[in-house]
Amino acid sequence: MMLIRAFEQALARRKDHGFQLLSSGEEAVAVGLCSALTGKDQLLTGGRSIGPALARGLAPDLVMAELLGRKSGTNRGKAGRGHLADPKAGFFGAHAVVGGNISIAVGVALSMQMSASGGIVAILFGDGASGAGALHESLNIAAIWNLPVLFVCNNNQFSVSTPRSAALAPSNISDIGAAFGMPSRTIDGMDVELVAGVAGEMAEKIRAGSGPQFLECISYRFSSHATTARETRSREELASIRSLCPIERHRKGLLGAGIIDRESETRLDHEVADIVTRALAFADASEFPDPAEVLTDVW
Amino acid sequence: MSGKPAVTTEKIFFREAISRAMREEMRQNERIFIMGQDVGAFGGSYREFDGLFVEFGAARVRDMPVAEAAMVGVGVGAAAAGYRPLVSVTYMDFMMLGFDPLINYGAKLRYKTGGRLTAPVVVKTTAGAKGQGVAHSQCIEAWLMGVPGLKIVAPSTPADAYGLLKAALHEDGPVVFIDHKRLFPVAGQVPLSEGMVPIGQAHVCRTGTDVTITAHSFMTRVAMEAAKLLEADGISAEVVDLRTLAPLDMRTIADSVGRTGALLTLEEGQVTCGVGLEVIGRVHELLGPIPSARTGALPAPVSSNKVLEAACLPDAQRVLEAVQMLLGKRSRRSGRKIASFVPDGQ
Amino acid sequence: MIYRISVPAVADVEEIRVLEWHGEPGHRFDSGDLVVELETHKAIVEVRAGQPAVLRQVLSEAGKWQQIGLPLALLSDDAGEPLPEEVDSAADLMVDFEIT
Repeated sequence: MMLIRAFEQALARRKDHGFQLLSSGEEAVAVGLCSALTGKDQLLTGGRSIGPALARGLAPDLVMAELLGRKSGTNRGKAGRGHLADPKAGFFGAHAVVGGNISIAVGVALSMQMSASGGIVAILFGDGASGAGALHESLNIAAIWNLPVLFVCNNNQFSVSTPRSAALAPSNISDIGAAFGMPSRTIDGMDVELVAGVAGEMAEKIRAGSGPQFLECISYRFSSHATTARETRSREELASIRSLCPIERHRKGLLGAGIIDRESETRLDHEVADIVTRALAFADASEFPDPAEVLTDVW
Repeated sequence: MSGKPAVTTEKIFFREAISRAMREEMRQNERIFIMGQDVGAFGGSYREFDGLFVEFGAARVRDMPVAEAAMVGVGVGAAAAGYRPLVSVTYMDFMMLGFDPLINYGAKLRYKTGGRLTAPVVVKTTAGAKGQGVAHSQCIEAWLMGVPGLKIVAPSTPADAYGLLKAALHEDGPVVFIDHKRLFPVAGQVPLSEGMVPIGQAHVCRTGTDVTITAHSFMTRVAMEAAKLLEADGISAEVVDLRTLAPLDMRTIADSVGRTGALLTLEEGQVTCGVGLEVIGRVHELLGPIPSARTGALPAPVSSNKVLEAACLPDAQRVLEAVQMLLGKRSRRSGRKIASFVPDGQ
Repeated sequence: MIYRISVPAVADVEEIRVLEWHGEPGHRFDSGDLVVELETHKAIVEVRAGQPAVLRQVLSEAGKWQQIGLPLALLSDDAGEPLPEEVDSAADLMVDFEIT
């Protein structure tokens, strides 16, 4: 979580960062979810991909290079944040169309079922995607075919400027999953241990062949929807949201339980800072793709 | 020509060409499977998948709920993950529902992942008008021709349906395979041995000297009919069956037009931004401003009404008149407007 | 009297493929008996005898193609009647056909 926060902050500070969707405040969802996934599984996401990609274990150097458009990035600079993909690392990929990756994820899960690979698919999407027909159609197909999919809704309660309550009729987004007969839960997405625990339980059951499940994680984003989007919340609201920081919460918990102390905390801070510094240096030292690459990998 | 072995062929129905291609490919590659409405025990709306459910079972011939967006997406996703699905979209009109996963994900997957992933999915669909009404009659292949990364094929005979479907199932990326309602009653000779038709290759199905008519799908048959009428009128027409719409075989097309010196394009879809316009544009880039004209549907939805449907779509007579006009031989005595040539409002 | 069975006029069909003959030359069909099954591009046409007759000569065997309206077989009231040179001189046998 610390790495995601530091990485994204460093990225956002750059003049050349482009158009980014950050996970500040929502790190517990990505990290908790990824802790439930193994090497046989695949994670797919929407456009808010940086946090999940790092949580999944993608090399920060390669992710930073990709985000900054360098050809040494995970996808030769052609994906950027919206389409980051490293299937060998279990990150089948991001897709920038809201809801557009959900049926794709079900297809990946179908392939796993057909090949009896033992893997599962986790598809991460936001409350913004939850009104989309693509979600509902995909839930239906996953349910009738008993596919190994964990549908994870990261409900940060805003779709750019539209609050969830104005966009969605069900009071719990997990009710949508329940409507298709699958086990569905809504939990506090700011508690990384809770997310890890519940996601882990659900993943195990799916691996055992019990069919798809739906997990809604309530979270709060600290910044606006994207680095170029206007903030719609008041300063007071934002201050109150910051007090819910999942990193601080976890840090307090670990300190209290004696699992870390101030010394290891500081060490972690430095480690994270080093990783981010190295990632930036790697990206800055890398070349942009040759213009001729505009026509490669089309067919 | 000596040394070339005789290809044995068998006369079969159009639908049998499709099921034969599927059966052969599914036997050879267990990663190929079918998804669609009524494809299983029902055997497909046109019986084009007859026998496959019995041979390969429900895991490889999967009936779907009516949900084209997710169906295409699931197919594209399974393809990206290593399988080779054939997604059957019953009528081409419904493809619109699946445009997002096909175009925004499938066609762009190789590019957007820098080559890490690709989606070898075949979307098979039936185009064309045959009394089914405004939302069940469309030919919208032209809308797809400009999508980088998406190949499009449209056979006009059982042999080409067989050959192009087999070829499509061997491609590394997404392919749209378009057949036609009015092709299913057609029977024809199909090779008994492997008869893959290369993608990206047009076919001169009738040689001629005065004009080149390009066409695809059912309209190739209309073009051939028109060529007979033209012959009686003293005009020698060469008919080029496009077979692949993306990528277009400009070598064959340009070679033909270079010889005949005139080009009439024929399609069942709309001429606005149509297949024909693309062919003419490219021919002009290659050969200069050769006299050209387009024939297609009138700019109206295609009603199920028999009279209106017939009035809307091109037929051999309309093609004849368009060629005569193009070649300056049209008799002006009748004064009848050639609606397909200069439609109102365009 | 000599009769012929021709391919019935089925809507939207130009030609058929003979699927199966349900009797060999010499076989007597009663009214209502299934004589031959024909395949169209979408269905099977069952052709049943509308009158008793003996099958004499199959003109289109199973697997062969024939156009709508063209002859498939010759039949007669009695087994021994001599067959004509011209198929056209035969009368049309009364038949019922059902599309399945």
